[in-house]
Amino acid sequence: MENTKKYMNSYLAGVLLGVVILFSFYLTREGLGASGAYKRIAAEIENVVAPSYTHSENSHSSSYFKDGLNPLKNRLVFMVIGVFIGGFVSGTIAGRVKLTLEHSPRITSKKRAIAALIGGALFGIGASFGRGCTSGAGLDGMATLATSGFVVVMAIFGSGYIFAYFFRKLWI
Amino acid sequence: MGPIFNASDEWSYVVALVIGIFFGLILESAGFSSSRKLAGVFYGYDFVVLRVFFMAALTAAVGLAFFDYFDLIDLSKIYVNPYFIGPTIVGGVIMGLGFIIGGFCPGTSACAAAIGKIDAMIFIGGIVIGAIIFDVAYPLYSEFYESGNKGAQLIYEVMGISKEWFLLIFVVFAIAVFYITAYIQKLVSKNVNKY
Amino acid sequence: MEDKRYIKKRYIFINVIMIGLTLWLLLLPKRDSSTELQADKLLLEIIDDSRFLSTDYVANRIINDDKYILLVDVRSPEEFNTFHLKGAMNIPIDSLLNKDETGEYVWDSYLNTDIYKVIFYSNGSVYSGQAWMLTKRLNFKNNYILKGGLNEWFSTIMLPQKPAANSSESDFAIYEARKGAAIYFGGGTVSVENKSSNSNSNVPVVSKKKKSGAGGGC
Repeated sequence: MENTKKYMNSYLAGVLLGVVILFSFYLTREGLGASGAYKRIAAEIENVVAPSYTHSENSHSSSYFKDGLNPLKNRLVFMVIGVFIGGFVSGTIAGRVKLTLEHSPRITSKKRAIAALIGGALFGIGASFGRGCTSGAGLDGMATLATSGFVVVMAIFGSGYIFAYFFRKLWI
Repeated sequence: MGPIFNASDEWSYVVALVIGIFFGLILESAGFSSSRKLAGVFYGYDFVVLRVFFMAALTAAVGLAFFDYFDLIDLSKIYVNPYFIGPTIVGGVIMGLGFIIGGFCPGTSACAAAIGKIDAMIFIGGIVIGAIIFDVAYPLYSEFYESGNKGAQLIYEVMGISKEWFLLIFVVFAIAVFYITAYIQKLVSKNVNKY
Repeated sequence: MEDKRYIKKRYIFINVIMIGLTLWLLLLPKRDSSTELQADKLLLEIIDDSRFLSTDYVANRIINDDKYILLVDVRSPEEFNTFHLKGAMNIPIDSLLNKDETGEYVWDSYLNTDIYKVIFYSNGSVYSGQAWMLTKRLNFKNNYILKGGLNEWFSTIMLPQKPAANSSESDFAIYEARKGAAIYFGGGTVSVENKSSNSNSNVPVVSKKKKSGAGGGC
Protein backbone atom coordinates (compact mmCIF):
# COMPACT_ATOMS: atom_id res chain seq x y z
CA MET A 1 0.00 0.00 0.00
CA GLU A 2 2.97 2.32 0.45
CA ASN A 3 3.65 3.06 -3.16
CA THR A 4 0.03 3.61 -4.11
CA LYS A 5 -1.66 6.95 -4.30
CA LYS A 6 -3.86 8.08 -1.49
CA TYR A 7 -7.59 7.84 -1.85
CA MET A 8 -9.58 10.90 -2.70
CA ASN A 9 -11.11 12.85 0.15
CA SER A 10 -14.49 11.34 0.87
CA TYR A 11 -16.40 14.64 0.90
CA LEU A 12 -14.99 15.62 -2.44
CA ALA A 13 -15.76 12.15 -3.83
CA GLY A 14 -19.29 12.41 -2.46
CA VAL A 15 -19.93 15.75 -4.12
CA LEU A 16 -18.51 14.52 -7.42
CA LEU A 17 -20.62 11.39 -7.24
CA GLY A 18 -23.65 13.54 -6.49
CA VAL A 19 -22.94 15.62 -9.59
CA VAL A 20 -22.72 12.42 -11.64
CA ILE A 21 -26.11 11.29 -10.28
CA LEU A 22 -27.54 14.71 -11.04
CA PHE A 23 -26.37 14.53 -14.64
CA SER A 24 -27.58 10.98 -14.93
CA PHE A 25 -31.07 12.17 -14.01
CA TYR A 26 -30.76 15.23 -16.19
CA LEU A 27 -29.70 13.25 -19.26
CA THR A 28 -31.47 9.93 -18.95
CA ARG A 29 -34.19 10.60 -16.30
CA GLU A 30 -32.82 7.72 -14.25
CA GLY A 31 -30.02 7.59 -11.75
CA LEU A 32 -27.22 5.16 -11.19
CA GLY A 33 -27.60 1.44 -10.84
CA ALA A 34 -25.72 -1.77 -10.88
CA SER A 35 -27.71 -4.73 -9.61
CA GLY A 36 -30.15 -4.42 -12.51
CA ALA A 37 -27.34 -5.40 -14.86
CA TYR A 38 -26.57 -8.54 -12.84
CA LYS A 39 -30.24 -9.43 -12.65
CA ARG A 40 -30.39 -9.18 -16.40
CA ILE A 41 -27.33 -11.39 -16.78
CA ALA A 42 -29.04 -13.87 -14.44
CA ALA A 43 -32.17 -13.71 -16.60
CA GLU A 44 -30.11 -14.39 -19.70
CA ILE A 45 -28.49 -17.41 -18.04
CA GLU A 46 -31.89 -18.71 -16.98
CA ASN A 47 -33.08 -18.21 -20.52
CA VAL A 48 -30.30 -20.46 -21.79
CA VAL A 49 -30.73 -23.13 -19.11
CA ALA A 50 -34.49 -23.21 -18.68
CA PRO A 51 -36.17 -21.08 -21.33
CA SER A 52 -39.65 -22.42 -20.65
CA TYR A 53 -39.58 -21.39 -17.00
CA THR A 54 -38.00 -18.05 -17.72
CA HIS A 55 -40.77 -17.10 -20.10
CA SER A 56 -43.55 -18.42 -17.90
CA GLU A 57 -45.80 -16.42 -15.61
CA ASN A 58 -44.02 -17.87 -12.59
CA SER A 59 -40.73 -16.26 -13.40
CA HIS A 60 -40.04 -12.73 -12.40
CA SER A 61 -37.34 -12.49 -15.03
CA SER A 62 -39.96 -12.97 -17.73
CA SER A 63 -40.57 -9.23 -17.66
CA TYR A 64 -37.09 -8.70 -19.05
CA PHE A 65 -38.08 -10.62 -22.16
CA LYS A 66 -41.43 -8.94 -22.70
CA ASP A 67 -42.21 -8.07 -26.31
CA GLY A 68 -39.10 -9.90 -27.47
CA LEU A 69 -36.77 -7.58 -25.62
CA ASN A 70 -33.18 -8.51 -25.07
CA PRO A 71 -32.50 -8.22 -21.34
CA LEU A 72 -28.90 -7.24 -21.94
CA LYS A 73 -29.80 -4.34 -24.17
CA ASN A 74 -30.33 -2.01 -21.27
CA ARG A 75 -28.72 1.14 -20.01
CA LEU A 76 -27.78 -0.47 -16.70
CA VAL A 77 -25.71 -3.10 -18.48
CA PHE A 78 -23.85 -0.35 -20.30
CA MET A 79 -23.47 1.53 -17.05
CA VAL A 80 -21.81 -1.42 -15.31
CA ILE A 81 -19.47 -1.83 -18.27
CA GLY A 82 -18.66 1.84 -17.73
CA VAL A 83 -18.01 1.22 -14.04
CA PHE A 84 -15.52 -1.49 -14.99
CA ILE A 85 -13.74 0.85 -17.36
CA GLY A 86 -13.76 3.74 -14.90
CA GLY A 87 -12.57 1.57 -12.03
CA PHE A 88 -9.76 0.16 -14.13
CA VAL A 89 -8.62 3.58 -15.32
CA SER A 90 -8.61 5.00 -11.81
CA GLY A 91 -6.87 1.93 -10.44
CA THR A 92 -4.22 2.12 -13.15
CA ILE A 93 -3.52 5.78 -12.49
CA ALA A 94 -3.21 5.15 -8.76
CA GLY A 95 -1.21 1.97 -9.25
CA ARG A 96 -3.71 -0.26 -7.52
CA VAL A 97 -4.35 -2.80 -10.28
CA LYS A 98 -3.22 -6.15 -8.96
CA LEU A 99 -4.79 -9.56 -8.94
CA THR A 100 -5.39 -10.12 -5.21
CA LEU A 101 -7.84 -11.69 -2.88
CA GLU A 102 -8.14 -9.19 -0.12
CA HIS A 103 -8.95 -10.58 3.28
CA SER A 104 -8.42 -10.00 6.94
CA PRO A 105 -5.19 -11.58 8.21
CA ARG A 106 -7.30 -13.65 10.59
CA ILE A 107 -9.11 -15.64 7.93
CA THR A 108 -7.94 -17.72 5.01
CA SER A 109 -8.42 -16.84 1.38
CA LYS A 110 -10.82 -19.73 1.02
CA LYS A 111 -12.99 -18.47 3.82
CA ARG A 112 -13.03 -15.00 2.29
CA ALA A 113 -14.02 -16.46 -1.08
CA ILE A 114 -16.93 -18.38 0.42
CA ALA A 115 -18.06 -15.32 2.37
CA ALA A 116 -17.92 -13.24 -0.81
CA LEU A 117 -20.02 -15.78 -2.65
CA ILE A 118 -22.66 -15.98 0.09
CA GLY A 119 -22.66 -12.22 0.51
CA GLY A 120 -23.09 -11.78 -3.21
CA ALA A 121 -25.97 -14.24 -3.33
CA LEU A 122 -27.69 -12.47 -0.44
CA PHE A 123 -27.21 -9.17 -2.21
CA GLY A 124 -28.70 -10.64 -5.37
CA ILE A 125 -31.79 -11.79 -3.48
CA GLY A 126 -32.04 -8.61 -1.42
CA ALA A 127 -31.68 -6.33 -4.42
CA SER A 128 -34.48 -8.23 -6.13
CA PHE A 129 -36.80 -7.77 -3.16
CA GLY A 130 -35.81 -4.18 -2.62
CA ARG A 131 -36.20 -3.33 -6.32
CA GLY A 132 -32.65 -2.07 -6.49
CA CYS A 133 -29.38 -2.13 -4.62
CA THR A 134 -27.50 0.45 -2.59
CA SER A 135 -27.03 2.62 -5.64
CA GLY A 136 -30.24 2.00 -7.57
CA ALA A 137 -32.63 2.01 -4.64
CA GLY A 138 -30.62 3.79 -1.96
CA LEU A 139 -28.65 6.52 -3.70
CA ASP A 140 -31.17 7.31 -6.42
CA GLY A 141 -34.00 7.02 -3.92
CA MET A 142 -32.42 9.51 -1.55
CA ALA A 143 -31.49 11.83 -4.41
CA THR A 144 -35.12 11.92 -5.58
CA LEU A 145 -36.29 12.08 -1.94
CA ALA A 146 -38.30 8.89 -2.40
CA THR A 147 -39.50 7.17 0.74
CA SER A 148 -38.23 3.85 -0.59
CA GLY A 149 -34.69 5.22 -0.79
CA PHE A 150 -34.56 6.29 2.83
CA VAL A 151 -36.24 3.11 4.06
CA VAL A 152 -33.90 0.84 2.14
CA VAL A 153 -30.81 2.71 3.32
CA MET A 154 -31.97 2.50 6.92
CA ALA A 155 -32.68 -1.21 6.47
CA ILE A 156 -29.29 -1.91 4.87
CA PHE A 157 -27.23 -0.04 7.44
CA GLY A 158 -29.47 -1.10 10.31
CA SER A 159 -29.16 -4.78 9.54
CA GLY A 160 -25.48 -4.32 8.73
CA TYR A 161 -24.84 -2.96 12.23
CA ILE A 162 -26.97 -5.66 13.85
CA PHE A 163 -25.19 -8.49 12.07
CA ALA A 164 -21.76 -6.87 12.20
CA TYR A 165 -21.06 -8.35 15.60
CA PHE A 166 -21.54 -11.91 14.39
CA PHE A 167 -19.24 -11.55 11.44
CA ARG A 168 -16.54 -9.41 13.02
CA LYS A 169 -13.96 -12.17 12.58
CA LEU A 170 -14.26 -11.75 8.83
CA TRP A 171 -12.99 -8.20 9.01
CA ILE A 172 -11.12 -7.31 12.16
CA MET B 1 -35.45 21.01 -20.47
CA GLY B 2 -34.29 17.72 -19.09
CA PRO B 3 -34.43 14.82 -19.01
CA ILE B 4 -32.83 14.95 -22.42
CA PHE B 5 -32.96 11.35 -23.56
CA ASN B 6 -35.73 8.83 -23.45
CA ALA B 7 -35.04 5.45 -21.84
CA SER B 8 -35.63 3.70 -25.15
CA ASP B 9 -33.41 6.14 -26.97
CA GLU B 10 -30.22 4.50 -28.25
CA TRP B 11 -28.27 7.52 -27.09
CA SER B 12 -29.18 6.76 -23.50
CA TYR B 13 -26.93 3.70 -23.73
CA VAL B 14 -23.97 5.84 -24.67
CA VAL B 15 -24.80 8.30 -21.92
CA ALA B 16 -25.15 5.43 -19.44
CA LEU B 17 -21.73 4.13 -20.45
CA VAL B 18 -20.10 7.52 -19.92
CA ILE B 19 -21.90 8.03 -16.61
CA GLY B 20 -20.81 4.53 -15.60
CA ILE B 21 -17.19 5.42 -16.36
CA PHE B 22 -17.39 8.45 -14.07
CA PHE B 23 -19.21 6.37 -11.48
CA GLY B 24 -16.40 3.80 -11.55
CA LEU B 25 -13.69 6.46 -11.48
CA ILE B 26 -15.13 8.11 -8.39
CA LEU B 27 -15.88 4.86 -6.57
CA GLU B 28 -12.39 3.58 -7.17
CA SER B 29 -10.61 6.78 -6.22
CA ALA B 30 -12.72 7.10 -3.07
CA GLY B 31 -11.48 3.68 -2.01
CA PHE B 32 -14.65 1.71 -2.63
CA SER B 33 -12.68 -1.01 -4.36
CA SER B 34 -11.48 -2.35 -1.01
CA SER B 35 -13.90 -4.58 0.85
CA ARG B 36 -12.11 -4.00 4.12
CA LYS B 37 -12.50 -0.28 3.73
CA LEU B 38 -16.19 -0.74 2.94
CA ALA B 39 -16.80 -3.04 5.89
CA GLY B 40 -15.09 -0.49 8.12
CA VAL B 41 -18.29 1.46 8.35
CA PHE B 42 -19.83 -1.32 10.43
CA TYR B 43 -16.92 -1.57 12.83
CA GLY B 44 -16.22 2.10 13.19
CA TYR B 45 -12.72 2.16 11.79
CA ASP B 46 -13.59 3.71 8.46
CA PHE B 47 -16.70 5.73 7.67
CA VAL B 48 -15.75 6.65 4.13
CA VAL B 49 -18.78 4.79 2.72
CA LEU B 50 -21.18 6.74 4.85
CA ARG B 51 -19.59 10.05 3.96
CA VAL B 52 -19.45 9.49 0.22
CA PHE B 53 -22.91 7.99 0.22
CA PHE B 54 -24.70 10.75 2.09
CA MET B 55 -22.69 13.50 0.46
CA ALA B 56 -23.61 12.16 -2.98
CA ALA B 57 -27.29 11.83 -2.13
CA LEU B 58 -27.35 15.33 -0.66
CA THR B 59 -25.59 16.91 -3.61
CA ALA B 60 -27.87 15.19 -6.08
CA ALA B 61 -31.03 16.03 -4.12
CA VAL B 62 -30.11 19.68 -3.73
CA GLY B 63 -28.95 19.80 -7.34
CA LEU B 64 -32.23 18.36 -8.57
CA ALA B 65 -34.15 20.92 -6.52
CA PHE B 66 -32.18 23.72 -8.17
CA PHE B 67 -32.55 22.22 -11.62
CA ASP B 68 -36.27 22.03 -10.99
CA TYR B 69 -36.43 25.61 -9.77
CA PHE B 70 -34.67 26.97 -12.81
CA ASP B 71 -36.76 24.85 -15.16
CA LEU B 72 -33.81 22.77 -16.30
CA ILE B 73 -35.49 19.49 -15.52
CA ASP B 74 -39.03 18.20 -15.38
CA LEU B 75 -39.13 16.34 -12.08
CA SER B 76 -42.41 14.67 -12.95
CA LYS B 77 -40.62 12.76 -15.70
CA ILE B 78 -37.95 11.40 -13.40
CA TYR B 79 -38.06 7.81 -12.30
CA VAL B 80 -38.85 7.53 -8.61
CA ASN B 81 -38.45 4.08 -7.13
CA PRO B 82 -41.83 2.90 -5.83
CA TYR B 83 -42.15 2.07 -2.16
CA PHE B 84 -43.43 -1.42 -1.35
CA ILE B 85 -43.40 -1.47 2.45
CA GLY B 86 -42.62 -5.14 3.15
CA PRO B 87 -40.41 -6.00 0.17
CA THR B 88 -38.34 -2.83 0.54
CA ILE B 89 -37.58 -3.50 4.21
CA VAL B 90 -36.96 -7.22 3.73
CA GLY B 91 -34.77 -6.49 0.73
CA GLY B 92 -32.81 -3.91 2.68
CA VAL B 93 -32.25 -6.27 5.62
CA ILE B 94 -31.04 -9.06 3.33
CA MET B 95 -28.77 -6.60 1.53
CA GLY B 96 -27.33 -5.44 4.85
CA LEU B 97 -26.54 -9.02 5.73
CA GLY B 98 -25.01 -9.55 2.31
CA PHE B 99 -22.97 -6.41 2.74
CA ILE B 100 -21.49 -7.48 6.07
CA ILE B 101 -20.68 -10.99 4.85
CA GLY B 102 -19.60 -10.18 1.32
CA GLY B 103 -18.04 -6.80 1.91
CA PHE B 104 -19.25 -5.22 -1.30
CA CYS B 105 -22.35 -3.92 -2.91
CA PRO B 106 -23.09 -4.45 -6.61
CA GLY B 107 -21.64 -1.14 -7.81
CA THR B 108 -18.47 -1.31 -5.76
CA SER B 109 -17.87 -4.96 -6.63
CA ALA B 110 -17.76 -4.03 -10.31
CA CYS B 111 -15.04 -1.45 -9.81
CA ALA B 112 -13.15 -3.69 -7.38
CA ALA B 113 -13.25 -6.55 -9.87
CA ALA B 114 -11.91 -4.16 -12.50
CA ILE B 115 -8.71 -3.65 -10.53
CA GLY B 116 -8.19 -7.32 -9.98
CA LYS B 117 -9.89 -8.12 -6.68
CA ILE B 118 -10.70 -11.80 -6.89
CA ASP B 119 -13.16 -11.61 -3.98
CA ALA B 120 -15.11 -8.99 -5.90
CA MET B 121 -15.32 -11.25 -8.95
CA ILE B 122 -16.63 -14.04 -6.73
CA PHE B 123 -19.08 -11.58 -5.20
CA ILE B 124 -20.42 -10.71 -8.66
CA GLY B 125 -20.89 -14.40 -9.37
CA GLY B 126 -22.78 -14.57 -6.09
CA ILE B 127 -25.11 -11.74 -7.12
CA VAL B 128 -26.00 -13.52 -10.34
CA ILE B 129 -26.60 -16.76 -8.44
CA GLY B 130 -28.70 -14.87 -5.89
CA ALA B 131 -30.80 -13.30 -8.62
CA ILE B 132 -31.38 -16.74 -10.14
CA ILE B 133 -32.34 -18.16 -6.73
CA PHE B 134 -34.77 -15.30 -6.28
CA ASP B 135 -36.35 -15.96 -9.62
CA VAL B 136 -36.58 -19.74 -9.25
CA ALA B 137 -38.35 -19.40 -5.91
CA TYR B 138 -40.37 -16.42 -7.12
CA PRO B 139 -43.78 -18.16 -7.07
CA LEU B 140 -43.36 -18.66 -3.31
CA TYR B 141 -43.43 -14.97 -2.58
CA SER B 142 -44.76 -13.33 -5.70
CA GLU B 143 -47.71 -12.10 -3.69
CA PHE B 144 -45.49 -10.64 -1.00
CA TYR B 145 -43.31 -9.03 -3.65
CA GLU B 146 -46.28 -7.03 -4.92
CA SER B 147 -47.72 -6.23 -1.49
CA GLY B 148 -47.75 -2.97 0.39
CA ASN B 149 -47.47 -0.83 -2.69
CA LYS B 150 -47.33 2.83 -1.75
CA GLY B 151 -46.36 4.00 -5.21
CA ALA B 152 -43.68 6.53 -5.98
CA GLN B 153 -44.01 8.09 -2.57
CA LEU B 154 -41.89 11.06 -1.58
CA ILE B 155 -40.59 11.30 1.94
CA TYR B 156 -41.28 14.97 2.55
CA GLU B 157 -44.90 14.42 1.57
CA VAL B 158 -45.17 11.62 4.11
CA MET B 159 -43.65 13.87 6.75
CA GLY B 160 -45.96 16.67 5.71
CA ILE B 161 -43.29 19.30 5.22
CA SER B 162 -42.08 21.20 2.21
CA LYS B 163 -39.25 19.89 0.08
CA GLU B 164 -36.98 22.79 0.98
CA TRP B 165 -37.38 22.25 4.70
CA PHE B 166 -36.77 18.57 4.31
CA LEU B 167 -33.55 19.23 2.41
CA LEU B 168 -32.34 21.56 5.14
CA ILE B 169 -33.08 18.97 7.83
CA PHE B 170 -31.38 16.32 5.70
CA VAL B 171 -28.24 18.43 5.29
CA VAL B 172 -27.99 19.34 8.96
CA PHE B 173 -28.60 15.72 9.96
CA ALA B 174 -25.95 14.44 7.54
CA ILE B 175 -23.35 16.92 8.73
CA ALA B 176 -24.06 15.94 12.33
CA VAL B 177 -23.57 12.30 11.32
CA PHE B 178 -20.30 13.21 9.60
CA TYR B 179 -18.92 14.77 12.75
CA ILE B 180 -20.12 12.03 15.07
CA THR B 181 -18.75 9.25 12.87
CA ALA B 182 -15.45 11.08 12.42
CA TYR B 183 -15.20 11.22 16.20
CA ILE B 184 -16.02 7.51 16.54
CA GLN B 185 -13.49 6.69 13.85
CA LYS B 186 -10.83 8.52 15.80
CA LEU B 187 -11.62 6.58 18.95
CA VAL B 188 -11.82 3.19 17.26
CA SER B 189 -8.75 3.68 15.13
CA LYS B 190 -6.63 3.73 18.24
CA ASN B 191 -7.71 0.20 19.07
CA VAL B 192 -7.89 -1.40 15.66
CA ASN B 193 -4.80 -2.21 13.70
CA LYS B 194 -4.73 -0.19 10.54
CA TYR B 195 -4.37 -2.43 7.58
CA MET C 1 -6.54 10.29 9.65
CA GLU C 2 -3.25 11.73 10.72
CA ASP C 3 -4.89 15.10 10.99
CA LYS C 4 -5.76 16.17 14.49
CA ARG C 5 -9.17 17.36 13.40
CA TYR C 6 -11.96 14.90 12.68
CA ILE C 7 -12.64 16.52 9.38
CA LYS C 8 -9.90 18.11 7.39
CA LYS C 9 -10.22 21.84 7.51
CA ARG C 10 -10.13 22.47 3.82
CA TYR C 11 -13.17 20.30 3.26
CA ILE C 12 -15.37 21.92 5.88
CA PHE C 13 -16.31 24.47 3.25
CA ILE C 14 -18.23 21.74 1.41
CA ASN C 15 -20.53 21.39 4.40
CA VAL C 16 -20.93 25.14 4.63
CA ILE C 17 -21.81 25.35 0.95
CA MET C 18 -24.41 22.60 1.32
CA ILE C 19 -26.13 24.41 4.16
CA GLY C 20 -25.92 27.66 2.24
CA LEU C 21 -27.49 26.11 -0.85
CA THR C 22 -30.40 24.60 1.03
CA LEU C 23 -31.03 27.86 2.85
CA TRP C 24 -31.00 29.67 -0.46
CA LEU C 25 -33.49 27.14 -1.81
CA LEU C 26 -35.68 27.74 1.20
CA LEU C 27 -35.68 31.48 0.65
CA LEU C 28 -36.36 31.39 -3.08
CA PRO C 29 -39.86 32.55 -3.88
CA LYS C 30 -42.36 29.80 -4.57
CA ARG C 31 -43.39 29.08 -8.10
CA ASP C 32 -45.98 27.06 -9.89
CA SER C 33 -45.05 23.71 -11.23
CA SER C 34 -44.13 24.10 -14.86
CA THR C 35 -45.74 20.87 -16.07
CA GLU C 36 -49.18 22.36 -15.91
CA LEU C 37 -50.55 24.67 -18.47
CA GLN C 38 -49.99 28.28 -17.49
CA ALA C 39 -53.05 30.26 -16.47
CA ASP C 40 -52.98 32.63 -19.44
CA LYS C 41 -52.85 29.80 -21.95
CA LEU C 42 -55.59 27.97 -20.13
CA LEU C 43 -57.75 31.07 -20.31
CA LEU C 44 -57.27 31.28 -24.07
CA GLU C 45 -58.27 27.66 -24.41
CA ILE C 46 -61.40 28.25 -22.36
CA ILE C 47 -62.47 31.18 -24.52
CA ASP C 48 -61.98 29.05 -27.60
CA ASP C 49 -65.20 27.18 -28.33
CA SER C 50 -63.68 24.35 -30.33
CA ARG C 51 -63.62 22.05 -27.31
CA PHE C 52 -67.36 21.46 -27.72
CA LEU C 53 -68.54 18.84 -30.13
CA SER C 54 -72.19 18.85 -31.12
CA THR C 55 -74.40 15.87 -30.45
CA ASP C 56 -74.98 15.59 -34.20
CA TYR C 57 -71.28 15.30 -34.88
CA VAL C 58 -70.79 12.69 -32.17
CA ALA C 59 -73.83 10.68 -33.27
CA ASN C 60 -72.52 10.74 -36.80
CA ARG C 61 -69.10 9.49 -35.66
CA ILE C 62 -70.64 6.67 -33.62
CA ILE C 63 -72.88 5.55 -36.47
CA ASN C 64 -69.94 5.55 -38.85
CA ASP C 65 -68.08 3.43 -36.37
CA ASP C 66 -65.21 5.87 -36.10
CA LYS C 67 -62.35 4.08 -34.39
CA TYR C 68 -60.64 7.32 -33.56
CA ILE C 69 -63.07 8.70 -31.08
CA LEU C 70 -63.16 7.65 -27.47
CA LEU C 71 -66.26 8.47 -25.48
CA VAL C 72 -65.55 8.90 -21.80
CA ASP C 73 -68.45 8.85 -19.38
CA VAL C 74 -67.40 10.85 -16.32
CA ARG C 75 -70.53 10.05 -14.30
CA SER C 76 -70.73 7.50 -11.51
CA PRO C 77 -70.58 3.78 -12.36
CA GLU C 78 -74.26 3.40 -11.33
CA GLU C 79 -75.36 6.02 -13.80
CA PHE C 80 -73.05 4.51 -16.38
CA ASN C 81 -74.63 1.11 -15.94
CA THR C 82 -78.12 2.48 -16.30
CA PHE C 83 -77.35 4.15 -19.58
CA HIS C 84 -74.31 5.08 -21.59
CA LEU C 85 -73.49 5.93 -25.13
CA LYS C 86 -72.36 3.11 -27.35
CA GLY C 87 -68.70 2.27 -26.94
CA ALA C 88 -68.18 4.66 -24.06
CA MET C 89 -65.87 3.86 -21.20
CA ASN C 90 -66.55 4.91 -17.66
CA ILE C 91 -64.04 7.06 -15.80
CA PRO C 92 -65.83 8.73 -12.87
CA ILE C 93 -64.58 12.26 -12.53
CA ASP C 94 -63.18 11.70 -9.06
CA SER C 95 -60.88 8.97 -10.34
CA LEU C 96 -59.85 10.82 -13.47
CA LEU C 97 -56.48 11.90 -12.15
CA ASN C 98 -55.64 8.77 -10.16
CA LYS C 99 -52.00 7.83 -10.30
CA ASP C 100 -50.47 4.39 -10.28
CA GLU C 101 -47.48 3.27 -8.25
CA THR C 102 -45.00 4.84 -10.62
CA GLY C 103 -46.68 8.22 -10.33
CA GLU C 104 -48.18 8.01 -13.79
CA TYR C 105 -51.75 8.95 -14.43
CA VAL C 106 -53.71 5.72 -14.65
CA TRP C 107 -55.80 6.92 -17.56
CA ASP C 108 -52.91 8.62 -19.30
CA SER C 109 -52.78 6.04 -22.07
CA TYR C 110 -56.45 6.66 -22.86
CA LEU C 111 -56.78 10.36 -22.34
CA ASN C 112 -53.45 11.75 -23.46
CA THR C 113 -52.93 10.56 -27.00
CA ASP C 114 -52.61 12.09 -30.40
CA ILE C 115 -54.64 9.30 -31.90
CA TYR C 116 -58.06 9.56 -30.35
CA LYS C 117 -60.47 12.34 -30.00
CA VAL C 118 -61.40 11.91 -26.37
CA ILE C 119 -64.95 13.14 -25.83
CA PHE C 120 -66.06 13.66 -22.25
CA TYR C 121 -69.73 13.59 -21.46
CA SER C 122 -71.94 13.77 -18.40
CA ASN C 123 -75.62 14.52 -17.95
CA GLY C 124 -75.11 18.18 -18.66
CA SER C 125 -71.90 19.95 -19.51
CA VAL C 126 -70.76 20.68 -15.99
CA TYR C 127 -68.87 17.54 -15.03
CA SER C 128 -67.57 16.90 -18.51
CA GLY C 129 -66.39 20.51 -18.51
CA GLN C 130 -64.58 19.90 -15.26
CA ALA C 131 -63.01 16.75 -16.65
CA TRP C 132 -61.85 18.69 -19.69
CA MET C 133 -60.38 21.41 -17.48
CA LEU C 134 -58.54 18.90 -15.33
CA THR C 135 -56.93 17.20 -18.28
CA LYS C 136 -56.29 20.44 -20.14
CA ARG C 137 -54.38 21.80 -17.18
CA LEU C 138 -52.11 18.80 -17.45
CA ASN C 139 -51.65 19.58 -21.10
CA PHE C 140 -53.37 16.43 -22.33
CA LYS C 141 -54.05 16.64 -26.02
CA ASN C 142 -57.10 16.07 -28.17
CA ASN C 143 -59.78 16.23 -25.51
CA TYR C 144 -63.31 17.47 -26.18
CA ILE C 145 -66.70 17.83 -24.52
CA LEU C 146 -70.04 16.58 -25.74
CA LYS C 147 -71.99 19.82 -25.93
CA GLY C 148 -75.02 19.76 -23.65
CA GLY C 149 -74.22 16.25 -22.50
CA LEU C 150 -76.77 13.47 -22.38
CA ASN C 151 -79.65 15.86 -21.85
CA GLU C 152 -78.98 17.45 -25.19
CA TRP C 153 -78.33 14.01 -26.63
CA PHE C 154 -81.86 12.94 -25.74
CA SER C 155 -83.53 16.13 -26.90
CA THR C 156 -81.68 16.21 -30.22
CA ILE C 157 -80.74 12.69 -31.23
CA MET C 158 -83.16 10.41 -29.46
CA LEU C 159 -86.25 12.59 -29.64
CA PRO C 160 -85.65 14.98 -32.50
CA GLN C 161 -88.15 17.77 -32.91
CA LYS C 162 -89.53 18.31 -36.34
CA PRO C 163 -88.51 21.79 -37.43
CA ALA C 164 -91.21 24.29 -38.21
CA ALA C 165 -92.48 24.23 -41.75
CA ASN C 166 -90.82 27.53 -42.59
CA SER C 167 -87.40 26.42 -41.41
CA SER C 168 -84.41 26.38 -43.68
CA GLU C 169 -83.45 23.42 -45.75
CA SER C 170 -80.41 22.69 -43.59
CA ASP C 171 -82.64 22.38 -40.54
CA PHE C 172 -84.60 19.70 -42.32
CA ALA C 173 -81.41 17.96 -43.33
CA ILE C 174 -80.33 17.90 -39.70
CA TYR C 175 -83.72 16.60 -38.72
CA GLU C 176 -83.49 13.79 -41.26
CA ALA C 177 -80.06 12.85 -39.99
CA ARG C 178 -81.30 12.88 -36.44
CA LYS C 179 -84.25 10.73 -37.29
CA GLY C 180 -81.86 8.24 -38.83
CA ALA C 181 -79.68 8.43 -35.79
CA ALA C 182 -82.64 7.95 -33.49
CA ILE C 183 -83.47 4.75 -35.29
CA TYR C 184 -79.85 3.64 -35.07
CA PHE C 185 -79.67 4.30 -31.36
CA GLY C 186 -83.10 2.81 -30.78
CA GLY C 187 -84.48 6.21 -29.99
CA GLY C 188 -87.89 7.61 -30.38
CA THR C 189 -88.68 5.56 -27.41
CA VAL C 190 -85.72 5.71 -25.13
CA SER C 191 -84.25 2.30 -24.76
CA VAL C 192 -81.51 1.57 -22.35
CA GLU C 193 -78.37 0.17 -23.76
CA ASN C 194 -77.03 -2.29 -21.30
CA LYS C 195 -74.24 -4.05 -23.04
CA SER C 196 -71.74 -2.93 -20.48
CA SER C 197 -69.95 -6.23 -20.68
CA ASN C 198 -68.37 -5.59 -24.02
CA SER C 199 -68.71 -1.86 -24.13
CA ASN C 200 -65.23 -1.30 -22.80
CA SER C 201 -63.57 -4.14 -24.58
CA ASN C 202 -63.73 -2.55 -27.98
CA VAL C 203 -61.73 0.44 -26.84
CA PRO C 204 -58.21 -0.18 -27.96
CA VAL C 205 -55.61 0.96 -25.51
CA VAL C 206 -52.64 2.86 -26.73
CA SER C 207 -49.92 1.38 -24.63
CA LYS C 208 -47.31 4.01 -24.23
CA LYS C 209 -43.85 2.96 -23.31
CA LYS C 210 -43.98 2.55 -19.58
CA LYS C 211 -41.46 4.78 -17.96
CA SER C 212 -40.35 2.38 -15.30
CA GLY C 213 -38.19 -0.55 -16.13
CA ALA C 214 -39.19 -4.03 -15.16
CA GLY C 215 -39.05 -4.57 -11.41
CA GLY C 216 -36.11 -2.96 -9.71
CA GLY C 217 -34.43 -0.18 -11.55
CA CYS C 218 -31.06 -0.69 -9.95
